[in-house]
Amino acid sequence: MASITIKNLTKKYGKTVAVKDLNLQIEDKEFFVFLGPSGCGKTTTLFAIAGLIKIDSGEIWIGDELVTSAEQGIHKPPHEREISMVFQDYAIYPHMTVFNNIAFPLQIRNTDKHEIEGSVKKTAELLGISQLLDRKPRQLSGGQRQRVALGRAIVRRPKVFLMDEPLANLDAKLRCQTRTELKKLQLELKVTTIYVTHDQVEAMTMADRIMVQKDGVTEQIGTPDELYNHPSNLFVAGFIGSPEMNFMDCTLFEEKKELYLDAKEFRIFLPAKMPSELRSYIGAELIMGIRPEDIYENICAEGTVQENAIRMTIDLIEPVGPYLLLHLKAGRIPLVATVKDTKAKASQEVVMAMDLGKIHIFSKETTKAII
Amino acid sequence: MRLPFRKVFTRETMVNLLFVLPSLVLVGYFVYVLIGWNVVVSLTDWKGLAPSYNIVGFGQYVTLFQDPEFLTSLTNNLILILLFVPSSLALGLFLAILLDSKVRGEGVFRNIYLLPFSLSYVITATLWLWMYNPKEGVINTLLRTIGLGFLQPGWTTDPNIALACVVLAIVWQFSGYTMLIFSAGIKSIPESQVMAAEVDGATGLNLYRRVVVPQLKTPALSAFVVLMIFALKVFDFIYVLTGGGPAGYATYVVPLLMFRNTFRMDKYANGAAMATLLFLLALVIVVPYLYLSSRREKD
Amino acid sequence: MFLLPLWTDITTTFKSLNDLINTIPVQPPLSPTIEPMITAFNIMERPLLNSLTFTVAATIFSCLLGSINGYALTKIRFRGSNIMFLLFSIGIFLPYQAVLVPLVLTISRLGLYNSLGGLILAHTTYGITITTLLFRNFYGLIPDSLIMAAKTDGAGTWTIYRRIILPLSLLPFVVAAVLQFTSIWNDFLFGVTLARGLEAMPASVALANLKGTTEFNWNVQMAGALWYALPILLIYLGLGKYLIRGYMAGAIKG
Repeated sequence: MASITIKNLTKKYGKTVAVKDLNLQIEDKEFFVFLGPSGCGKTTTLFAIAGLIKIDSGEIWIGDELVTSAEQGIHKPPHEREISMVFQDYAIYPHMTVFNNIAFPLQIRNTDKHEIEGSVKKTAELLGISQLLDRKPRQLSGGQRQRVALGRAIVRRPKVFLMDEPLANLDAKLRCQTRTELKKLQLELKVTTIYVTHDQVEAMTMADRIMVQKDGVTEQIGTPDELYNHPSNLFVAGFIGSPEMNFMDCTLFEEKKELYLDAKEFRIFLPAKMPSELRSYIGAELIMGIRPEDIYENICAEGTVQENAIRMTIDLIEPVGPYLLLHLKAGRIPLVATVKDTKAKASQEVVMAMDLGKIHIFSKETTKAII
Repeated sequence: MRLPFRKVFTRETMVNLLFVLPSLVLVGYFVYVLIGWNVVVSLTDWKGLAPSYNIVGFGQYVTLFQDPEFLTSLTNNLILILLFVPSSLALGLFLAILLDSKVRGEGVFRNIYLLPFSLSYVITATLWLWMYNPKEGVINTLLRTIGLGFLQPGWTTDPNIALACVVLAIVWQFSGYTMLIFSAGIKSIPESQVMAAEVDGATGLNLYRRVVVPQLKTPALSAFVVLMIFALKVFDFIYVLTGGGPAGYATYVVPLLMFRNTFRMDKYANGAAMATLLFLLALVIVVPYLYLSSRREKD
Repeated sequence: MFLLPLWTDITTTFKSLNDLINTIPVQPPLSPTIEPMITAFNIMERPLLNSLTFTVAATIFSCLLGSINGYALTKIRFRGSNIMFLLFSIGIFLPYQAVLVPLVLTISRLGLYNSLGGLILAHTTYGITITTLLFRNFYGLIPDSLIMAAKTDGAGTWTIYRRIILPLSLLPFVVAAVLQFTSIWNDFLFGVTLARGLEAMPASVALANLKGTTEFNWNVQMAGALWYALPILLIYLGLGKYLIRGYMAGAIKG
């Protein structure tokens, strides 16, 4: 059983708090992603789990075992934790052949030679690098080196895989390919995996669950679907999804028992079924969020007045292959919408509507009220 | 970017040439012309104050190899190399690893170990001369103090161990340098590799033995070349420390012999022959090294 | 413990004659005196001055020329550049014995025997080999695009050197200067072959000769060593890290 439990983990570097009071539970066999911008603490957390750094307070459990406890002074060294790690620059040993690189963890533990040979060969086959076993790292391409690093991590059959932005140094096309392969590999090997990245696309496509961090603080933990459709705060909403969610300042008012959001340039009347807590925000300053794909051209019968239709001008149309990116202006508010097609042209006026079921409302203090 | 021949003598090129001309002339002359000249001299029979250029072929070289003084010097040189180079490398490596594993005070220790290397060989030799003094020198005095007075070797006055004493002093001087080179090599290993090794289970001695040291081949090689060349041309040190050594020739080396024969005994051709040999030996070591490292630069 | 020889030097220097006889070398002096220092200085005054003069001069010249060479080798494409560099590199490792005799002859024919000029000439020339290496390594790191931009702006070779390369060269100059000063100051071979009298004798030779004259006055000997070592110690304390970079230049090629 290789679940991971973290309680109240804090790590400081001098005055800077790298990770602040982290609490996390990762399930066995889960593909879990630490996501966030540079310096948010994800790599620090990873290294703490690996045992490569000491922590200031908190506990870390791998399976049933307490491997780190700041308060009790427990710190199990990395190689006794049954974990293995893939580094961003692969960290393979340049003076050893591919075979020896992969075999290294087994050699250190004085494993029987025949066993080593068998394991290494099987691992190499799994990763498709059997023909490279005699080569030295400098003769390999980036993608091949990465597989060697993976091989070294897999060969020991650890309880947990830790990966620190392993795809960051690959070119875009290889990255996509490898992403899929990594995910398939994990499913096949059924090993708990923690994967660190700053790329939200990677996170969204690969993860069972994601933890988003910013400046050492946990912003949200959830499945990709939860993070995408129900972001709990402004940061997560803006970080996940490309192109980014549109944000507008607005205020909540009530008129004749109907709630509407006033964004100065336009008003959005909210549907009737809204949570009652929303009423407590009447008059408060809020931020409204809507994703580009939830804004669409309001083509309806002539003469019909749609309440929530907004007149906008097209600034720029960017063709992105499968869809069009419309850069719009509603008065002075910029908006981005993705549509399949449009007959309108730049500088023209269009009428757009929003999918009211997909509106997100945030208090200006980064909490969220509904959807 | 090769210019067609016609355009070679544009104004730009002239200015360019002007830039390097002084250096080219100086180095070209003082190094290569003089080497050639020296070779020529070695082929003559010049003895005495007035230069004479009667070419007598390889006679000088033949005489050399029949000269017991020369053979002793040559042997001493070889012994020196065999003792000095490996121990210096080993000590330097040891110090570098030591320095790497301690976190505190690294800079201080590094500076301390390097200090001897920046001193002149004359100074170091003088210091060790004092230390080795059988009657009042530090080493023997200390031995007396801790009760090992009966040992009190003659150090540099004892023909049997004089050469070893010299080697010890030179190793002292150079250990900081080899340590520096290895230290730089160790530092150039990316941190992530060390972490990977930690995760794999290679810690402490294992880490150094299997991950760090094998990657130190390049620094080791360049230190090796520098040390070898020094061992070949060591002159200042021995001149001051032993002047050639007790009982006549115990610590004589070829450069010293060359100096004595040339400048004290006016046997110019003889000295030139020795010098040429030294040069050839140096070439044998340096040229392959330069070739290897320039090829590595292309990678 | 490693620094034992140096410690002994310092303690011995300040001992009077009595102290020498009565104390063991590792002990500090019972009644410290600067007399040995003064005696040593009187003997070595002229040589020290000589050393200072030609070392500074040769350092300056070899650094300047090295800088120009480094610039030429890296930024000016000309056909012989690789060969030239190779030839210079061999010069770094040259055992000076191989050119000693002709060197003496040349220097005397130029009328520079037993003169500071001769020493300056010799040290500058052989110094060029290592300074060129240092500057070449450093200038190689300056992006070519900088030079190309200057060329399209109309700058000629000399202008580029003066206004772009030189201002960027503070670090290599310091490293080269420190390295050269140390090597030249510490030299003995050229000193003992190219200088006979006090007019041009370097401090290194004077120190070695001390041993011959004042047989039993170890304290004077040690004092002399201390004087000679003084500038180097000062440099090491203040500019040590640059010196270290200089040492690494040979090892870290490219």
